[in-house]
Amino acid sequence: MGFEPEAEQLIEDGPMARPYFLTGGRTRSDAGELAVEAMVAAAPDSAPPADAELRAIHELCQTPNSIAEISAKRSLPLGVARVLVADLWGSGSLEVLETTRSDDIAIVRRLLDGIRNR
Amino acid sequence: MAFETAEQAQRPVSAKVVVSGGFGVGKTTFVAAVSEIAPLRTEAQMTSAATGVDDATFVQEKTATTVAMDFGKITVEAGLVLYVFGTPGQDRFGFMWNDITEGALGALVLVDSRRLDECFNAIDYFESRNIPFVVALNQFDGAPMHNEADIREALDLPASVPIVRTDARQSQYATDTLVQLLAHILETLAASASPVPAQRPAPVVTTDMRDRAANALAAERSA
Ligand SMILES: Nc1nc2c(ncn2[C@@H]2O[C@H](COP(=O)(O)OP(=O)(O)OP(=O)(O)O)[C@@H](O)[C@H]2O)c(=O)[nH]1
Ligand SMILES: [Mg+2]
Repeated sequence: MGFEPEAEQLIEDGPMARPYFLTGGRTRSDAGELAVEAMVAAAPDSAPPADAELRAIHELCQTPNSIAEISAKRSLPLGVARVLVADLWGSGSLEVLETTRSDDIAIVRRLLDGIRNR
Repeated sequence: MAFETAEQAQRPVSAKVVVSGGFGVGKTTFVAAVSEIAPLRTEAQMTSAATGVDDATFVQEKTATTVAMDFGKITVEAGLVLYVFGTPGQDRFGFMWNDITEGALGALVLVDSRRLDECFNAIDYFESRNIPFVVALNQFDGAPMHNEADIREALDLPASVPIVRTDARQSQYATDTLVQLLAHILETLAASASPVPAQRPAPVVTTDMRDRAANALAAERSA
């Protein structure tokens, strides 16, 4: 099953071509990786970026949004939204508002108890 | 965490689980059932999205298919949020799975027992990445009530993977299933010797990245 096609193949094969053009063909940001659920918001007093798509994301993030929401609202593929948001985070235009946890037993226990007791 | 500043430590904490499985097994329905917000959906009409691609024989009422993801949210307590993501069902959107699953605590693999083979890809995917998962049999009308042993054999599942029953249309039932998944994740984490098992997905925001971002921000502000 082709769950992990090469980035180049995605870029060549149709609908992904234009969006990955927005990242200059990159499928990762130099700033690092953010999860799709990561909530971000424009950093206080940050100037609008020059690039049109980045500026639109920055504008959208005057109120907090997750990367998933940004992807839907801007009609960007999830992978592209992840790269562009991470770029904006790396340059200080956006702030990450939540700390994401993937392996913290104490957190899982709180989630479990909280949802079980509702 | 030792490296966190006071500001980072008081930020809200979030975690994520993924609802997965084959085409039309009820992923979107499940996310909607457990989410406190109207879930974010990225769906397309079946007519254009599924022409000649999908077997919708068993899901006749189905009019839309997920092309990107479903995104739901549960505020568990102040400052603690669980996000629930549904994967797209069609194989041709498989390239999105890595973006969706990265950093997930664990996954639910929904199964329609009339089409067991639909979930093979999902099971292989989570098994190969050591992401804890639970198999949940969705109660479709007219679906055979296989016993657990038969399902386990058909799916070639080890005893360590729980098999449960659910009904994605019923909020309480779906929430109970989510609790079963979290209990399994907790057990798996507790059983692993080191606090950060070697093959789990990397933490999403590393301290190093946070520092770099904070430094960049500080530099910009002082400039
Ligand atoms: N009988 C029954 N029908 C269900 C159940 N869960 C979902 N359905 C129905 O099955 C159909 C498919 O459900 P979806 O939630 O769209 O499935 P999906 O997995 O998101 O589909 P894709 O994203 O296209 O792969 C819909 O018509 C649902 O109403 C269930 O537990 N029992
Ligand atoms: Mg769906």
